[in-house]
Amino acid sequence: MSPREWISLVLLIAGAGFYLAGTMGMLRFPDVFCRLHALTKADNLGLLLICSGLAVLAASWQTTALLGIIWLLGLIAASVSAHLIARHALREQQSARSQSDNIR
Amino acid sequence: MSLAVDLLIAAALIGLAVQIVVGGVLFRAIVLFIVFGLTMALAWARLGAPDLAMAEAAIGAGLTGALMLVAYRRLIEINPDKPARTERRRSVLALPVAMLASALVAMIGLAAIGLEPEPGFAGRAVMDELEHTGLGNPITGVLLVFRNLDTLLEIAVLLAAFAAARAVTVPGASPLPLSHRSQSPLVGALLAIIVPMTVLVAAHLLRVGGHAPGGAFQAGAVLAASGVLLSLTGKLVPSAETGPLLRLGLLAGLVGFSLVGLIVTGFGLPLLAMPGIWAIYAIETAMMLSIAVALVLLFTGSAGLRRGAD
Repeated sequence: MSPREWISLVLLIAGAGFYLAGTMGMLRFPDVFCRLHALTKADNLGLLLICSGLAVLAASWQTTALLGIIWLLGLIAASVSAHLIARHALREQQSARSQSDNIR
Repeated sequence: MSLAVDLLIAAALIGLAVQIVVGGVLFRAIVLFIVFGLTMALAWARLGAPDLAMAEAAIGAGLTGALMLVAYRRLIEINPDKPARTERRRSVLALPVAMLASALVAMIGLAAIGLEPEPGFAGRAVMDELEHTGLGNPITGVLLVFRNLDTLLEIAVLLAAFAAARAVTVPGASPLPLSHRSQSPLVGALLAIIVPMTVLVAAHLLRVGGHAPGGAFQAGAVLAASGVLLSLTGKLVPSAETGPLLRLGLLAGLVGFSLVGLIVTGFGLPLLAMPGIWAIYAIETAMMLSIAVALVLLFTGSAGLRRGAD
């Protein structure tokens, strides 16, 4: 294997490791916020590592640029959806708390 | 190594399918169905069918998933007390039927593996004739030139599906927009990036469809996704009337395709013959708009759309 392939292999395995850890976190962590915390790491860094692993092998700079755009789009979508889920969960919690304060 | 990947995908597909059918929790079944769609897209990609993989990911997983989730929301709105569980009455016939069906699939698969393509094979005929059409993508060739009656009927089916959905929807029952509470400023920023990007991707898919994987269905689905996003965030809200622009969009594919197909008969060409590559692109553009409009309206469950308050 050429050094290029070795670099790519290391990056891809590291990326897959982040995804594995993120998935395990999502399955094992107790509440929404912890799970989001685990998941966003996989989305950010895992995707970055996989994209750069592929970019190292890419034949043209166009492919590299596309991989960069894919990472950025994934990053934007993941961070906004994580923010929305967390906000929703927080509001649910607050409304549940205020309801139990008001006694049934 | 690649066999291991294929086997893994096949096992995942079967496992997911069983879970979707057998599992009692409706929401879980919907989520698993979306995962099934994505895994199916992987399977198509492994089989060397990128056109199908894209369509499966965009329509099978993305838009159908969104449709199911919005239907689920409507279900729990109608009946919030009843937990969303499906009845678990398993028929005695379930197991024999499942075994017979899998035996049938296995037999067909085994028979298909041993088959050699014959010389007069339709696929080979398409590849031989493809250069006369000016297209480079055999899938687009089949969809728009060799078997375009099927494609025309598919567009008609989509329109019929919209009409049928209109017929069964209770007026004013659209579950959208989902939230009236203050919107996060991040959502606006997301839309400002994603919506122009999806329009760009749709245009690109439509353009490359002539010589590479892509085409009207994939482009329409991507365009519809941005419509779904806009209606989820309240930038587009359901309305009771179908506006003239939406009407035009809904009908563009069917009417444009039929008109071109009919007009060419006046020039001595057979019915639905394509007079040139420009006609293929024009029809694909019209089809893309129709597909996008119909899918978004199916999602919102309304007759029309108008701009949201902000």
